[in-house]
Amino acid sequence: MNEMSANLDVVGHDTVRKDAVPKTTGAATYTVDVSFPGMLHAKVLRSPHAHARVTSIDASKVRGMPGVHAVVTRDDLDGLNPTYGYFIKDQPIVAMDKVRYIGDTVAAVAAETELQAVAALEQITVGYKILPTVATVEEAMAETAPELFEEEPMGVVPAYGQGASGARRLGRNNCYRFSYETGDEAAFDRCDHIFEDRFVFSRDQHFHLEPFVTVARMDGDVIEIWSSTQNPFPLRKELARVFQYPENRIRVRVPYLGAGYGAKNNCKTEPIAILLARLSGKPVRFCMTTEENFLTQSQHAAILDVKTGVMADGTFVARSGHILLDSGAYSDASPLVAEKAGYRLPGPYNWQHLNIDCDCILTNTTPAGPYRGFGGTQASWASESQVDIIARALGRDPLDLRMQNVKNLGEAYVPGESGIDSDLRAGLKVVADRVGYEARSRGDGRGMGVSIGFKDAGGVNKPSQARIRITTTGGVYLECGAIEIGQGIHTAMSQIVAELLNTQLDRVVYPELNTDYTPFEQGTNASSAIIGTAQAVQQAALVAKQKVLEFAARELDCGIDEIELDDWSIRKGNDAHPLAPMIMGYYGGTGYEFTGAGFFKPELDHAAPLESQCVSWEFGWGAAEVEVDRETGLIRLLQLVVSGDAGRAINPLVCRGQDEGSAVMGLTGVLFPCMVYDGAILMNGNGLDYRVPLATDIPDGFVSILQEQGHGPGPFGSKSIGEGCMLPVASAIANAVEDAIGVRIRELPLTPERVLAAIDEACG
Amino acid sequence: MSGEMAFVSCTVNSVTQEFHVRPEEMLIDVLRDRLALTGTKLSCDLGACGACTVLLDGKPVSSCATFAWQTDGMNVRTVEGLAAANGALDPVQQAFIENSAFQCGYCTPGMIMLARALLDRDPSPDRETIRVWMGANICRCTGYEMIIEAVEKAALIPLETGK
Ligand code: FES
Ligand code: FES
Repeated sequence: MNEMSANLDVVGHDTVRKDAVPKTTGAATYTVDVSFPGMLHAKVLRSPHAHARVTSIDASKVRGMPGVHAVVTRDDLDGLNPTYGYFIKDQPIVAMDKVRYIGDTVAAVAAETELQAVAALEQITVGYKILPTVATVEEAMAETAPELFEEEPMGVVPAYGQGASGARRLGRNNCYRFSYETGDEAAFDRCDHIFEDRFVFSRDQHFHLEPFVTVARMDGDVIEIWSSTQNPFPLRKELARVFQYPENRIRVRVPYLGAGYGAKNNCKTEPIAILLARLSGKPVRFCMTTEENFLTQSQHAAILDVKTGVMADGTFVARSGHILLDSGAYSDASPLVAEKAGYRLPGPYNWQHLNIDCDCILTNTTPAGPYRGFGGTQASWASESQVDIIARALGRDPLDLRMQNVKNLGEAYVPGESGIDSDLRAGLKVVADRVGYEARSRGDGRGMGVSIGFKDAGGVNKPSQARIRITTTGGVYLECGAIEIGQGIHTAMSQIVAELLNTQLDRVVYPELNTDYTPFEQGTNASSAIIGTAQAVQQAALVAKQKVLEFAARELDCGIDEIELDDWSIRKGNDAHPLAPMIMGYYGGTGYEFTGAGFFKPELDHAAPLESQCVSWEFGWGAAEVEVDRETGLIRLLQLVVSGDAGRAINPLVCRGQDEGSAVMGLTGVLFPCMVYDGAILMNGNGLDYRVPLATDIPDGFVSILQEQGHGPGPFGSKSIGEGCMLPVASAIANAVEDAIGVRIRELPLTPERVLAAIDEACG
Repeated sequence: MSGEMAFVSCTVNSVTQEFHVRPEEMLIDVLRDRLALTGTKLSCDLGACGACTVLLDGKPVSSCATFAWQTDGMNVRTVEGLAAANGALDPVQQAFIENSAFQCGYCTPGMIMLARALLDRDPSPDRETIRVWMGANICRCTGYEMIIEAVEKAALIPLETGK
């Protein structure tokens, strides 16, 4: 389905990725591969207790141990702002007064080998006074629950626009609440039916194969780090605050990332690596183990109460919701995830009234943070499950009920918001047709379900800058801060630039990110690169091109409209004028560089609930067919059809990989146990016990279909594609289960035990 | 912290290498730290994910779970040693490139070595065989379909001889 716009030479083609050869030959450099002579290795001491006061720390025995060059405890934080976080600065570099989860960082050592560092940690003695623990949001919210923070940590509530607000510390262990309201509550009174359901969402871990890792060293008075990070510029700013150091004397360099899926935003290994490098005067590598990854960041488990009022004819009228996110021990990105989970709970439907609160509850568990889908996965699970519940109660086909209520193309999501930039009905039809929804045979424990996964894309008020430099001989430097995390952005951006400059793709190089030179970028997250950063890149390329054309027109003594740029030559009528001699003729034999700068940021807009209109809307349509064994409760996934809308696919093959990868990631929380806690103890936080999907878990009937509807705000009509197809997976499968055996499961994962329990309940 | 050193003589990517290794030293440490062959990646360090897969006498093993001394007298092959002597990439590498069968690339060297081992024993496996075989390694990015298709394609590309 690629019959859209204009003939493009580079964009829209399955060109080989720019990182293909390095990544298939072992030549690609990741932060784990960065190494220096004399480099030390850092290890951290972690709390064995879920909640305790730290009464004493004695690291005196460690100093002077073989190979040990530096030790950090709370006594070594003088002159620092020792806590970090997104909106709320509550997470200490190493424990100060308390530890708040099993795995909380207590001390750190840098030694010549990892073994020496581990041996040194064993010699640190810590006194703890054990405190009562809260392991779940229910426990944490109880009247008598101990507070993780007795005093309010430093922090801010961001500005919001129409209908939205934020608040802190509204209840026990409540670190943040996001609220959104629009329309008149009386709308509920007019409804013929009200549905109230509670949905429970499981807690996955990102399981990025490259661990959290940083190499830090002092380069004169510059703090220089190589880090596996998604947002080097905000990270630099946060490190500058923590270390009370000028931002321009902190240099962040980012090689290839062994993925992140959201986890690699903000401080992780960086503060400790830097601190140890400063103390020891040597380069320090802090690379976590997979077990430590599990103790550093997770997805948010959630409980979602959703109340929806509808008319007898199926028209959606009003929805209210209350979401509880399990934030773990520190606020991390929870306020932002709450904002998105709350804001996305309505789904892409028409409502007269909405009233949603999303609370972030601190518990004595691994801090939860950004995870692909960013609250949208939780919201889509609840919203799209309830749509089916409503449909079945009204005797309506769930697909049909969606068709009736979804927003039209171009309709504002909510008052003050931008318009929906995909045709939702067309998208839904694509997956329904492919799975064979209309003609499905039921009985025999088989059934089908559909779902529309939904989120906004592009982040909030997110600025990007870019620069294009073109050398005398036509080599192009593409400089922007979008990080190659696996999504193929180096290739896609290069294709865009090659297309705009009418040049060959391999003339474009994309230098490694270095905050000293690379133009500012808020971060590679929120599906923002192709709709945000790419607009800055596009502008930079067009500015540079204009300068070239103006120069050539002057040299050729003609109007700019008489000439065209053609593979670093100027075409004028039937004549080709190579640019290199022309440039050297004017600028001298050593040549010149043409440059163009670009910038993109959505406008501030107080009428928009989140203070700027969403740049775009990302969808993943999903359809599933299952066979459920009523005896064992086992769900066999027969078909999973997902589809995203790339607007205009810059590189269709790469887009396919994004759709399929995110859908399979979405299977984790449906089919596997995710993070299993016994109280506050994580039971399966390692690579052996933790189950992520394998090739053998994917059904033959797994298909992705790439749509290019052409309405995106990115260059050539492109849209984001990295997260959408994860969003519909859980609800499509749960909806298929109800289609198959008539029972509704409201809690993830969809284990056989839950299926059997639901069958028992339905029987009686 | 360690007992006696063991002497190991093995071939790594067709070059003879001799080391004195500590008993607890793993193959991956020797490859990455001593030989600077950093294409082989460490992730779970438990033999579960396969990111560190190399070929030991042609068989895929987790180099994080293989002691260095176990390789004495054996042939070790890593992703750096896959291209033919004339520099031509292995059919598996070619197919991974053409099919875009990677994203972040962290699992890719292991996946490629795993696929090479399969094709060495079964030059034309069917899709199900590929799926089961490749099910040994974890990729968190791709959703596996494009990897499986790349292995299918690699089976159709003739192997350069004369390594
Ligand atoms: S790192 Fe060796 S199997 Fe995972
Ligand atoms: S490509 Fe990232 S883990 Fe496989």
